[in-house]
Amino acid sequence: MSTTTAPQRTDHPSADTDHESDRPWQVIVWNDPVNLMSYVVWVLRKLFGHPVEEATRLMLQVHNEGRAVVSNGPLEKAEHDCHRLHHHGLWATLERT
Amino acid sequence: MKEPFSQTGGGVAVRLGADERQVLRGLTEVIEAAGDADGRFAYTAHPDDADAEHGYRALLGDSLDTARGEDRATMTATLDAKVLDEEAAMAWMRVIGDARIALAHRLGIEDDGWEEARDPTDPETALLMYLGYLQDTLVRVLT
Repeated sequence: MSTTTAPQRTDHPSADTDHESDRPWQVIVWNDPVNLMSYVVWVLRKLFGHPVEEATRLMLQVHNEGRAVVSNGPLEKAEHDCHRLHHHGLWATLERT
Repeated sequence: MKEPFSQTGGGVAVRLGADERQVLRGLTEVIEAAGDADGRFAYTAHPDDADAEHGYRALLGDSLDTARGEDRATMTATLDAKVLDEEAAMAWMRVIGDARIALAHRLGIEDDGWEEARDPTDPETALLMYLGYLQDTLVRVLT
């Protein structure tokens, strides 16, 4: 499922290093054939406080397109969100925005 | 038909027979027998960036395995309860979800639409569907 390609790191770190950790990340949830649609909606509402309409839209995007961005932010927050999704059995990964 | 879970003051009422509770008691074994289920339980945050993944691992340690194990322990400890608090009910929901993933892996399910393609009288398929019913009911009660 994880077919995404992360941007390559530059060979000129001096220019970017200071801002590397500030660049926002996005949390991707990938489709899987097992998790229930209703459960995925519940998880997205519970973890991120999405209204039911937004959680349902994201769930359908995962189901129909294979993936959706469910949250974003600095690396630390994105990794925390990813961990919580994994704890709930959802297949999630991070990407730079 | 009476629902297996319903809202009650301060928690989730459980209406399951001894046989059903015995099935749930076996879920820990189902999950643990699956190992990492060919990677399905080997969650990564940075699949294409080994350095970043190393940092993620260093930060988290074994907290994911610990949390999943605690959920199973919570479910085992509350299997005979008539009422679950919200924390326990959420642990049940996650354990049921993990058991469904483990069973689906054992059955070789990899694509959407398996519900129509599978023989519902196959015991493991039936268990997978029954657990889906339980989880869906819990979702409705906790929403």
